[in-house]
Amino acid sequence: MTVQAIRKATVGQNGVGAFILQCKRLDFHYCDWAGSSKGMNSFLRHSLSKFAAANPQIEITVSPRPRKHPVIVGHYINGREKAICVRNLQKEQILQKAELLRDASGEKLKRVTKPVKSINESVRGVWSPYHGGGIHV
Amino acid sequence: MFSRTIRKSILDTRIPTSALPPPFLLPNRARFFNTTAQHVEPPTDGFKASEVATPKSPAASSRPAATSSIPSPPPPPPTPASFSPSVKEQLPLLAAQPSHYISAHIHGRPYLVTQGDIIRLPFRMPGVVPGDILRLNRASSLGSRDYTLKGAPYLDERIFECRARVMGTEAEPMRIKEKKKQRNRRTKTVRSKHKFTILRISELKVNNLEDIEG
Repeated sequence: MTVQAIRKATVGQNGVGAFILQCKRLDFHYCDWAGSSKGMNSFLRHSLSKFAAANPQIEITVSPRPRKHPVIVGHYINGREKAICVRNLQKEQILQKAELLRDASGEKLKRVTKPVKSINESVRGVWSPYHGGGIHV
Repeated sequence: MFSRTIRKSILDTRIPTSALPPPFLLPNRARFFNTTAQHVEPPTDGFKASEVATPKSPAASSRPAATSSIPSPPPPPPTPASFSPSVKEQLPLLAAQPSHYISAHIHGRPYLVTQGDIIRLPFRMPGVVPGDILRLNRASSLGSRDYTLKGAPYLDERIFECRARVMGTEAEPMRIKEKKKQRNRRTKTVRSKHKFTILRISELKVNNLEDIEG
């Protein structure tokens, strides 16, 4: 007698019931000395606390990375990560980059031509020539 | 001034609490600190400005934030006071069938969707943050396996409830196009990378006629 697995009745889809943000962690790396980190340092001083308070779902870490350009790294639920180099950017531009990482899904960028993606079965079923009334010619 | 409060409270009661996650999962606070400007109609009276200024509990502020993020819609088409007898007769049959589809219109474009589908809008919607709920109130057809209700050109928006969740913003790979003229060495490279807002249909419901008219 074979062991039968229990069939799943439904598939979980993020956003249908609860919604979980795909970005789980943002790492901010800065350098104290280098001039390319100037905007990053002022972002860390002035804007980061507000950004973190506005996005409580995201874990935020700040760590130095001496002699290197400043970087924001986003870690996603699907295991991927995205890194953006923010050298020589102003505070406001860095905030935009942080929001880009927050809104991203973590997937690799793909060219999509169809606007709707569905895993549901067709509601009206497949057309069959043998059913229905038919047309008398 | 008070008509707006009444309307808002009606909107609030319509949203079922089961469809919304617990308030700590709602990223509603993100909208108070965002670079993109909100697409909310300008405060004509002191009501809205005072509402944003006063800090409230996240559970209380989450729902008005979700509804007020919708830009002011065009005036709805003049809806007939009552439905035709064939609609009255067959809409319960349509609602009784298990799964439904709807062709919802966003900025004039139709999207034929069922519950749980993902829509990739051809533009980046300004002023929304991931987790927001949009109510889609414009549709041209609604159907189940055996019945379809067609609008002329749009359906009465009291018949159905369709809500979409903003999932985030995605981009496409960088497009590079080379512009080269004949008999000329010069080559210009044009780069473009567009951003798109991703929605997921979180709720699709056909309303009862008794609830609408009663």
